[in-house]
Amino acid sequence: MKTARNPAARKRSENIAFGIIKALSYSTIAILALIIGFILYRGLRSTSETRSTMLPFCEKEPDGLAIIVNSRASASSMDWQTLNGIFSDEYINWAKIDARPDDLLPAIPATIKAQAALLALGGQNNEWGGLTSVLAGEDDAIRYTADKAGAVAIVSAAAARRAISGGAAIKTVGLRRLGIAANSQVLELVGSGAIRDLSDADIRRLLSGTVHNWKEFDGPDLPVSVLSAPRASALENALAASGYAGQVTQSAVPQSSLAQDTASRGVSSVPRTGTDVQALPASTAGQNSPTAAYLGRINSTPGACGPVFAEDLAGFGAEQTDAGASGDSLPAFLMRSATVRSWNLSLSYLVEPPQLSGRTGGISTIILNTVFMIALTLIIAAPIGIAAAVYLVEYAKQGRLLRALRLGTETLAGIPSIIFGLFGMLFFVGTCHFGFGLLSGCLTLSLMILPTIIRTSEEALKSVPDPLREASLALGATKLTTIRRVVLPAAAPGIATGLILAVGRAVGETAALIFTMGSDYKMAKGLFSSARVLSTHIYLLFAEGISFDKAFSTAAVLLVMVLLFNLLARRLVRHMSRNSGGNN
Amino acid sequence: MTEAVSTALPAAGLPAEGPAVKPKIEVSGLNLWYGETQALKNINIEVESNSITALIGPSGCGKSTFLRTLDRMNDLIPGVRTEGRVLYDGMDVFKDIDVIELRKRVGMVFQKPNPFPMSIYDNVAYGPRVHGIRDKKELDRIVEQSLRSAALFDEIKDRLSRPALGLSGGQQQRLCIARVLAVEPDVLLMDEPTSALDPISTAKIESLLAGLKNIYTIIIVTHNMQQAGRVSDRTGFFLHGELVEYGSTKDIFFRPQDPRTENYISGRFG
Repeated sequence: MKTARNPAARKRSENIAFGIIKALSYSTIAILALIIGFILYRGLRSTSETRSTMLPFCEKEPDGLAIIVNSRASASSMDWQTLNGIFSDEYINWAKIDARPDDLLPAIPATIKAQAALLALGGQNNEWGGLTSVLAGEDDAIRYTADKAGAVAIVSAAAARRAISGGAAIKTVGLRRLGIAANSQVLELVGSGAIRDLSDADIRRLLSGTVHNWKEFDGPDLPVSVLSAPRASALENALAASGYAGQVTQSAVPQSSLAQDTASRGVSSVPRTGTDVQALPASTAGQNSPTAAYLGRINSTPGACGPVFAEDLAGFGAEQTDAGASGDSLPAFLMRSATVRSWNLSLSYLVEPPQLSGRTGGISTIILNTVFMIALTLIIAAPIGIAAAVYLVEYAKQGRLLRALRLGTETLAGIPSIIFGLFGMLFFVGTCHFGFGLLSGCLTLSLMILPTIIRTSEEALKSVPDPLREASLALGATKLTTIRRVVLPAAAPGIATGLILAVGRAVGETAALIFTMGSDYKMAKGLFSSARVLSTHIYLLFAEGISFDKAFSTAAVLLVMVLLFNLLARRLVRHMSRNSGGNN
Repeated sequence: MTEAVSTALPAAGLPAEGPAVKPKIEVSGLNLWYGETQALKNINIEVESNSITALIGPSGCGKSTFLRTLDRMNDLIPGVRTEGRVLYDGMDVFKDIDVIELRKRVGMVFQKPNPFPMSIYDNVAYGPRVHGIRDKKELDRIVEQSLRSAALFDEIKDRLSRPALGLSGGQQQRLCIARVLAVEPDVLLMDEPTSALDPISTAKIESLLAGLKNIYTIIIVTHNMQQAGRVSDRTGFFLHGELVEYGSTKDIFFRPQDPRTENYISGRFG
């Protein structure tokens, strides 16, 4: 054996070892902090990509019309495609629009049917969807909208203003209908890709004429030619107001046709009530209008693009298709994408019940179910687990049976929870006929956490010094009294710690619950009612692809809940060990 | 060596000495085995009421085992087998008296202070509560009296509701004595009660013993021969599980009959 190295070398190696240990432990803490921080951040803030063909420019009164909804609706604006979808039966309820479960009830007053058709359908000859009710007048439409939660109607802007100032339970919804349409060749595939989504900066560059070839946007090798909107048209006004307009160089439309275009669009010039709207020109976006000419140029010029209203493009497309053009060769909107950062977790998310599988609403009932689950699981598992531990420590003779029991509990602790879930499903749900519900789930969970409770309680009981037991027995106390009044109180902090660990495991459990507790997100009404808890909610939000953001905000809530629970229990334990039953 | 006591005059002849004549504890032919190992060999001893008996001897000589036989604490140890008779007030502790009742009457103070992790009050009130006393006033009285008897009350009267584990070692041990006194035993068994304490605490407990003697019969196991000499009336010397010699403390210390006792007393071993 080598002789001892000199003290300096020994000290150095000790320092190195210490450094390694320190680095490892600090990195563990750092990883932990990273995970918790990430989940909390992701839960609180959502960073989402919004992709839309429409620019984020919202018109309250497009073409002198107003889209009105019941005042309970939360949406304050919508894309033109949504409006079109509402009135052509593409949507049947509000879920995808403003996160309400109400059925959609579109309505249209007969008096302004033609203008409304132009706005919502892109051409007045297009068919209204079967869901759309045609009401007699604007007042009827307003009344209908105020009465029905799911209603949406198009009325003239003036009528809407009048009704709102008169206190009707309606509100107007802004419309985003401005987009950048491009010639069909621009949108063709290039190799395996196509023109990319444009950011706001891209769109500004494009409109200001500093982009010369579509290749710059990963598009085809075509020169960019930006057409400007017909001068003094609603389109030009909208573009100017949107803030995207740059230096538009050339006018695509002869001045002479502008007046006609403007006149045909202005609903304000149309008498509001009692007017036969059918008397309007058959097609305002027809071949002769400046808008049609403008769209025609976009259609015919390779590499052309320009600002276009969605309904005009739709109307133009319909006409071209009627004339025999294929859909692929028509101009289409460029896709805009933007990163939107917003609050993901709000107070309302905590206090509102979930709706539509958690797509909308909050998680209040799910939090409550989780609390019920914790309580019920503890009620079932804690007495059994503690009693088993007391038996093992205080009564059982140390021997083969006890070793077998220990081995059993340890094995149980190592079994994957999904197997507990399968067992629970077959036994509690099936054989015992408890059904998918709180009771089945909690019984399964109890089985799962019992080994933890037993082992930690055992350790806690073992750590109670024997002299305490002897002292109690020597005072003439029975064994049971000794256990109840000396041993258990002395072991209480340790037992409580075990229970916290077990509850932590139970709260995070998903696999065992999916098969046993069901997934009803309403508040559990009883032991047999199916209940969704936070962990299963997160799983289902992911698994059913409902909402990544909501899954994370639920995860953040779960995380905070577990942290709070731990803190609370820790305080309780500290309180217990400080007082040790001292208050009398 | 025990003839002096056992052949004492009948009670009728000496009324004043009456209670003292009948031994409080009478052990005859006691053998005890831990599994195969014999720990006590044919122990015969009689202990008078209101006396302090010290049991001395080297470590592992069986004196603690003997003490624990008297209130049947050895029952707790698996594999212990006992033979012989242990009479408490004439009742066989293994047959005639319930173990709970026995332990209530024969209290025990352990080597290390072992207060319960409760408040001081609850520690003292534990025994009475276990034995069914619920009345708050009665409990208060018992607690105060017991703490006074253990010479602890004045030191801690303001913090009865504080955790007992916050007391000093000596105070804890006196608390343990008070806890035993609260169940109103008439025999106190003390298993090296001062071995874990400093000299000042030891002195306090020793002076406490002198006062307690008037009410209780005390048997104290000690390693400290000076202590045995100071506090006890009678002394028994244990060696290798045998009671080698038992007699008045003066005799044992100054006129030991057995050479082994003399060797031990004079410090040749042990």
